[in-house]
Amino acid sequence: MLVLSRKVGETIWIGEDVEIVISEVKGEQVKIGIKAPRSIDVIRGELRQDISDSNTEAVVGSIELLKKMKK
Amino acid sequence: MMNIHTAYMGEIEIDPTEILKFEHGIPGFEDEKSFVLLPLEENSIFQILQSTKTVSLAFILTIPYDLVSDYNFNLDEATVEALDINNENEVAVFSIVSLKDTLANSTVNLKAPIVLNTSNKKAKQVILDNENFAIRHKLSFESVKG
Repeated sequence: MLVLSRKVGETIWIGEDVEIVISEVKGEQVKIGIKAPRSIDVIRGELRQDISDSNTEAVVGSIELLKKMKK
Repeated sequence: MMNIHTAYMGEIEIDPTEILKFEHGIPGFEDEKSFVLLPLEENSIFQILQSTKTVSLAFILTIPYDLVSDYNFNLDEATVEALDINNENEVAVFSIVSLKDTLANSTVNLKAPIVLNTSNKKAKQVILDNENFAIRHKLSFESVKG
């Protein structure tokens, strides 16, 4: 993984159209501004992880329950 | 036509044009880009989303509008662009069901629906930025029966 040191107000460009701005650093919290085309999804990591966990637990182990329901 | 092996229906014949294309997979299964939708049983509100690559990988899908009458969200531009959606009539929305020991304990993911462009079969799991939609919404048995 590429790791860059930045100061408040400094930026990073990813490709031609995504700009990351370090907007504030306060203790353990960093505020980051993201300028990206609307065609790019910007999702907090923990939310994506929650969805990933939920997908993993939803993998079907058995469909007996659904078959039973029909009767 | 082509044959695929499935987790619950043995080997079946499918029409390759019916294959759903998830360009980036779904979270947790980023390498799974190709699925087919199979009816579970006649008149069932559930369908199976079967990977064409991994036999054991299948999900249960349902139509969220049948479970939550006021379920709706705006499609963001990223999704419209990714799926080449031209018209809302070509959009289908499904939710992933997480089966537990009983249906009453089972949940449905309203936070991250599967959006499908029925015209070109491009699909994507969209993560909604909406506090009202739960990742594990209890599957109401009454609504399931109805």
